[in-house]
Amino acid sequence: MVNVHKGVLVECDPAMKQFLLYLDEKMALGKKFILKDLDDTHLFILAEVVQTLQERVGELMDANSFPITQK
Amino acid sequence: FSPEDEINLLVIVVDVNPIWWGQQAQREPEFTLSKCLDAVLVIGNSHMAMSRSNKLAVIASHCQDSHFLYPSKRWRGGDSGEDDAPSSGDGKYELLSVANKLIADEIRNVMTKTEVSGNSSDTLLAGSLAKALCFGQEIKSRILVIKAAEDCALQYMNFMNVIFAAQKQNILIDACVLDSDSGLLQQACDITGGLYLKIPQKVALAQYLLWVFLPDSEQRSQLVLPPPAHVDYRAACFCHRNLIEIGYVCSVCLSIFCNFSPICTTCEAAFKIELPQMVKPKKKKLKQST
Amino acid sequence: MKLHVQLQCKNLHQYLRELSPEILDRLYNHPATCLAVYRELPSLAKSFVMRMLFLDQPLPQAAVALWVNKDCQRDHDECVSVLAGLRLWHSQQLQGGLLGYILNPIFKDNLRITLLGGGRAWADEGSTLGPDRHARDIESLDRYATERWEVILHFMVGSACAAVSQDLAQLLIQAGLMKSEAGEAPYITSSGFQFLLLDTASQLWYFTLQYIKTAQSRGMDLVEILSFLFQLSFSTLGRDYSVEGMSDSLLSFLQHLREFGLVFQRKRKSRRYYPTRLAITLAAGITSSSSCSSLASTPGDAGFIVVETNYRIYAYTNSELQIALVALFSEMLYHFTNVVVAQITRESVQQAIANGITAQQIIHFLRTRAHPIMLKQTPVLPPTITDQIRLWELERDRLQFTEGVLYNQFLSQADFEVLRDRAQGLGCLVWQDVAHRVMVVTPQGHSEVKRFWKRQKSQM
Repeated sequence: MVNVHKGVLVECDPAMKQFLLYLDEKMALGKKFILKDLDDTHLFILAEVVQTLQERVGELMDANSFPITQK
Repeated sequence: FSPEDEINLLVIVVDVNPIWWGQQAQREPEFTLSKCLDAVLVIGNSHMAMSRSNKLAVIASHCQDSHFLYPSKRWRGGDSGEDDAPSSGDGKYELLSVANKLIADEIRNVMTKTEVSGNSSDTLLAGSLAKALCFGQEIKSRILVIKAAEDCALQYMNFMNVIFAAQKQNILIDACVLDSDSGLLQQACDITGGLYLKIPQKVALAQYLLWVFLPDSEQRSQLVLPPPAHVDYRAACFCHRNLIEIGYVCSVCLSIFCNFSPICTTCEAAFKIELPQMVKPKKKKLKQST
Repeated sequence: MKLHVQLQCKNLHQYLRELSPEILDRLYNHPATCLAVYRELPSLAKSFVMRMLFLDQPLPQAAVALWVNKDCQRDHDECVSVLAGLRLWHSQQLQGGLLGYILNPIFKDNLRITLLGGGRAWADEGSTLGPDRHARDIESLDRYATERWEVILHFMVGSACAAVSQDLAQLLIQAGLMKSEAGEAPYITSSGFQFLLLDTASQLWYFTLQYIKTAQSRGMDLVEILSFLFQLSFSTLGRDYSVEGMSDSLLSFLQHLREFGLVFQRKRKSRRYYPTRLAITLAAGITSSSSCSSLASTPGDAGFIVVETNYRIYAYTNSELQIALVALFSEMLYHFTNVVVAQITRESVQQAIANGITAQQIIHFLRTRAHPIMLKQTPVLPPTITDQIRLWELERDRLQFTEGVLYNQFLSQADFEVLRDRAQGLGCLVWQDVAHRVMVVTPQGHSEVKRFWKRQKSQM
């Protein structure tokens, strides 16, 4: 029987996908949110976590960036 | 603020030869010089209306003289905003009203004040074209000649020089011929990539101008236009200004002569050959290369 | 789920196409509108109009098709659709049963009048007023226009010195460029930020479109004010025109134009006005698209920005407005009388991007206002800077979200393909993986796909 899920399709680069898998595995958002791992660059996730997810990605980018200029 | 678009100049050279137009008025009273100028105003206005960056110049080509009808010396410039500048009372675009009034005033001036001296009745077309070329320097421009009177072989040299100058500057020369075909203009159009058209009906001049000559070179690439005319490439000899198919060419300066002469009159090179009737003269088929 | 909206700037034709046929036909009653519409046509369409302008008979469509070279068929089709879409020409049955084209008679008559006269004057004569004792020269008009327009921009960035009328503030809010919460002073929106980085001509046209949109709700006649705007754009700079014969709503429109700097009027009650360069170049903004328009920046201002590879910006200006604009995407370091020094940082750029400004707009802003010294080098801006600004923007876009419905666990390949083809046919297929029999459709397409699947099941 065909299975149907509502959610959000995420397209990203493979590195970012690994980060999302990591968040999912560690339950960093409080729960599992990946409904289906589609391929290297696509995931299908719960719609309600999109906002939090973006914040977490923002935090990651902040953590990974360093000031390239001196004042 | 400044418009970035490229300026696109159309220079119209009108043959106003009074002798030809006088005869024309008797032949066909329904197509006179003023009718012709009306048609010029129509295409001029249409050109200027087409885009803000389109500019116009009109030159009247008279006998031994040529005059700028627009822009003219008496023009105070579009921006000066003189209070007595004619403004449009009949719904015409203000810029066009100003231009048309100037052109009308100037042509009246030219036709009444210029005298025709006895011996020369030819239109000074080469001179007008040279003026048009100078005016259109360093901007994108093209020239439209409205030709009435016969070609003048005397101007052959000047004419060819003007044509090659135009070719070098990438300026198109279009010709709209009212009466007999003009070999000189055929060559001018062919060399510069312009259009040559001898119109079958003079009274329909305005429509021919709008249909064929108004579109610029960019639009022409999209339109189907009259096929190129047969070009009369005969050159005029430097000695008698006769149009010749076969002649003598100076091996030093490439001057053309209809008769053999032992010394070139242009560069004074002496040809060391035996008597002309004895040997085969330096006879060359004239093949004009562009 | 893009987080910000791109500022949409329609050109004249896109705007006109949305008007009703009745309004269009009324618009074409004014020669100035006809000329403005004509000027914006594709060049081939201009040739078409010119060829038909003095014909009173319809031309067979087949003949018109033959005007164009075979390899330019697409240009021809485009012209036909533009001319029909703007109601500039109509199809008409010819005597032999062939279809022909004929120009819209109202448009034709009025375009003829623009070219050759023979109609009524566009407006009452300014010269009947006699010479103006307070006549303005072109420089002072330019200065006036720039000042007025900058006041509006200043107001948008919240400069304390800039005050505008209640009407204008309301208009900025209605245009979505500013927002106002009950009782508080209006503040700028993300669209407003994008607006600020446009060049003047585009700003003007965008603003005018917004004005026109709300004009009807102010009880103004759309046709009347549009015609007047076009008439202004074809007037002569430095000439005075009379307000004689203008209706009350047009007079109040004139007061608005006066506030925007499009016309100069010495006093509110003056009987004459001078169109400024802003009004005359209004048409120039029509063609340029929103972000990548012509280089024109504020008049009289040569470039003043130097960008160094160490992410520093030196802006040689004392214009509050320009400084405020630079501050939109950089951190201010020092402020001297003739120069400000700012630093582009990841945070400042990301803040700007969060406000709806794109990397492209920032780069465009810097390039168009680059100091003459910068202009000597190619590329004008250091590539490290432009690349980094773009990278910072991309950083935010590492995840792309699309709402959808996932279908999986199909029993057979055939089942999958039937449903996938259906979804594709409906245009709602977002993603598919044939090997694993998985597909994603849009939420809007879901119900239709589901219904189709149920029907399919029952037939089997």
